[in-house]
Amino acid sequence: MNSLSTYLILAAMLFCLGLLGVLQRRNLIGMLIAIELMLGGASINFMAFNRFLAPEPAVGQIITLFVMGIAAAEAAIGLSIILALFRQMRSINVERAQRLSG
Amino acid sequence: MMWLFKDPVLAAACTGTWLPFLAMLVILIFTRRNQRLSAGISIASIVTSLICAIYLFTKLFHAGVPVQYEVAWAMTPDLYVPFGYLLDPHSLLMLLIVATIACLVQIYSVGYMAGDPGFSRYYAFQSLFAWAMLTMVIAPGMLQLYIFWELVGLASYLLIGYYYEKYSASQAGKKAFVVTRLGDIGFFLGLIFLMLGYGDLGILNINQAAAGHQIPGPLVTISALLIFCGVIGKSAQFPLLTWLPDAMEGPTPVSALLHSATMVAAGVYMMSRIFPFFAASPDAMAVALAIGTVTMLLASTMAMATYDLKQVWAYSTVSQLGFMVMGLGAGGYFAGVFHLTTHAGFKALLFLCSGMFIHEFHTNDMRVIGQSGGRNLKVPMISMTIGALALSGLFPFSGFFSKEAIMGVLAQHTNKVWLFAGLLGALMTAYYSFRLIFFVALPRKLATVPAEDHGHGHGADHGDEHHGNAYWAMAWPVMFLASVTCVLGFFQAPLEQFLTGGHAAAAAHGAGQEGAGHGMGHYVLLAGAIGCALAGLAWAWVEFGRKRAPQEGFLKKFPLAEILFARRWYLDDFYRKALDTLVYGGLTSLFTRNDRRVIDGAIDGICKLTVGTGRMTSFMQSGMLQYNLLVMVAGIGLVLLFFFI
Amino acid sequence: MSAWFGIEGVAHLAFWVVVGITLGGAGLAVFPRNILHNVVGLILALSGVAGIYLFLGSMFIALMQLLIYVGAICIAIIFAIMLSRPLHLEVPVRRLPKVVGGVGAALVFFLGLLGVIVKTCWQAAPERGTDWSIKTIGDLLLTRYDLAFEVISLVLLVAIIGAIVTAGFSRRLSS
Repeated sequence: MNSLSTYLILAAMLFCLGLLGVLQRRNLIGMLIAIELMLGGASINFMAFNRFLAPEPAVGQIITLFVMGIAAAEAAIGLSIILALFRQMRSINVERAQRLSG
Repeated sequence: MMWLFKDPVLAAACTGTWLPFLAMLVILIFTRRNQRLSAGISIASIVTSLICAIYLFTKLFHAGVPVQYEVAWAMTPDLYVPFGYLLDPHSLLMLLIVATIACLVQIYSVGYMAGDPGFSRYYAFQSLFAWAMLTMVIAPGMLQLYIFWELVGLASYLLIGYYYEKYSASQAGKKAFVVTRLGDIGFFLGLIFLMLGYGDLGILNINQAAAGHQIPGPLVTISALLIFCGVIGKSAQFPLLTWLPDAMEGPTPVSALLHSATMVAAGVYMMSRIFPFFAASPDAMAVALAIGTVTMLLASTMAMATYDLKQVWAYSTVSQLGFMVMGLGAGGYFAGVFHLTTHAGFKALLFLCSGMFIHEFHTNDMRVIGQSGGRNLKVPMISMTIGALALSGLFPFSGFFSKEAIMGVLAQHTNKVWLFAGLLGALMTAYYSFRLIFFVALPRKLATVPAEDHGHGHGADHGDEHHGNAYWAMAWPVMFLASVTCVLGFFQAPLEQFLTGGHAAAAAHGAGQEGAGHGMGHYVLLAGAIGCALAGLAWAWVEFGRKRAPQEGFLKKFPLAEILFARRWYLDDFYRKALDTLVYGGLTSLFTRNDRRVIDGAIDGICKLTVGTGRMTSFMQSGMLQYNLLVMVAGIGLVLLFFFI
Repeated sequence: MSAWFGIEGVAHLAFWVVVGITLGGAGLAVFPRNILHNVVGLILALSGVAGIYLFLGSMFIALMQLLIYVGAICIAIIFAIMLSRPLHLEVPVRRLPKVVGGVGAALVFFLGLLGVIVKTCWQAAPERGTDWSIKTIGDLLLTRYDLAFEVISLVLLVAIIGAIVTAGFSRRLSS
């Protein structure tokens, strides 16, 4: 539990699970959830580097805080877009949202 | 501005050249509505230019050394392109000629153009011409000369097409512009060759270098021949000579100033300007000599067949320009320049006289003018006779001296063909000049005269007595030029001294005929030349002058020849044919086909390709967010694998 | 194997349990097709991440994680689910190529990441500070990271206004 690689691999798995969700979920809220997972994976990376490598332990934590802020903003915007889209199309299936189809 | 006053020579040069330009701007911008004011501004500026020219001429007459003010427009260290003023004897003489004739013509035009709706425009263009021509004359470098050479061409175009509502006039303007441009291409190419090969376009430098054999021979020959193309275009030499007769569509004073005395002489002037350069290439000189000869003879024959007053003088201008080129080509620097000087005087005189007739009788046909009482106009009649005598080369008029000078040069040439061509030309010149004089002065009632409405009935009303200011505005310049023509020839020796400089004794011998070694041969030549001229005169007298003369001319017996001459040896038809078949029929249709098929086809093909590709690939734009993302992520993953594993 | 006993052992066990919760939650958040299961999975996974933060030595960040993610974002998502009522709508059929493509792309990416993690020689900084206090974080936020702090505040503000505007306008448009 005290090796950097363990945390990094965990973070990578979390990130790739999130990625998988983003890629194949058709429910927009499901995609949003997956994005949160990806952000969590990235945050773990920061914290792990902060713990094992960084010269100043406060910096990684601050970055993680910023990531949380961004995540909150992203969630607010994303959810409002999802709501708007739902009102427009009576659906939150991302495959329905293809008006830009060529 | 203080520097201007410190050097009066420079100040005079600047004022003399730029004042007409200012006049043009003022006329075009401010005073177009006020015709009298426009004419006043233009004439005031050209008179000032004339005063400046006289001042420069007298001030620098004994200077001996050329005065040069120049700014180097050096793009690279290997290149020297000067702009500014070069005041050497030759340019001073030409400056004086141009300023004088421009001034006289502008004064004359007050009478000739009176009441014309485009009066202000006319004077603006005259000022433009004066500016361009004066600046061209005193250019120190070939590039400046070329630029103003083209500006002079522009002025010529504008003035030929002055009556632009007349179709033939606008066509003639375009023709003059395009044809001279054809020669100018060669000129410019020659300059480029010279610039690349030698890197210096200063006139004095070129001349010195060529005389000192510092420029390689082939380069001199090639660039001299190319530059000679410019002379061919501008001075209406053999292949490109037909634009000048057409240019007579412009007002007569314009013909007098541009198309006989100064602008067309610019070609000859340019050639004499870099005469040592030309002289360094015997081949180029031989070409010039041949082309000058052909031009002179062709144009003389054309002049024998036309009944249009101005056309006769136009052909004669072409012929005399050919004669000058002959003189230069044969190596007679002074002879060519001197003939240029005297020709400027007497040809302007002839045109201005013709202009008085045309203004009076509203026709160009010499037969109609004669029958309407052309000889009642004493001033132009006498002046025109003086001009014709000078043109024929009869003593004591100016043409005699300059023609003799050229004949002397030709006689020194080993090949006597040129001399006989010159004598033949003198014969024909005298013939056609006096054919015209006799037609006007000694008319017969001829059945063949075309009955033009305004041709008859005018002569009786217009005696010498009741002429207004317009008449005298025209008469004074004519009389001045006539008197100049009478006396100019006697200034040959001082002019020669001035032009060739004291040191060039040998050149003077080559050019003049008073060299000690000629002796007897010289007098034979003199007699031959005068004999030819008198023979031509007598011939004309027999056919047109004497009482009960048929006034038909020997050409009537050779209808084929007459048609040939009248149609200008079918040069125009040849060009038209060549244009039609070669350019329009061949090249243009090829280009059109190329444009339609190849270029349009290629562009259409590209369009179709683009549209087709878009159609084919538009399925990728499925609007499926996740597929796009998927491809992107897979791509990033592959990049990661590629670079880090 | 002595590490599996005693305090050390408990800590180890706790770590792997947390890892299990995290990955299991993540799986639950991604794979089931019922959106409420997903949210529960997300809550589990984020709580697990908070636990990981504890193991990485930052109590403060772990608490913030619980507070912001679990307490705020998950609740917002549940609100959105309730507003959009996806449960009552049709359940789309899964398409095999898409699933395969998604899994393939994620796998490629994961392998790439794994390669980077394994191949890279991680080197710690020569001098490492030991100051983990919240006070330092606060100091740095208001001094060195002042600008970033302000900017993120601004981003949050804009996001809130944007969310209101987006939702509000679309409501007006649809009605």
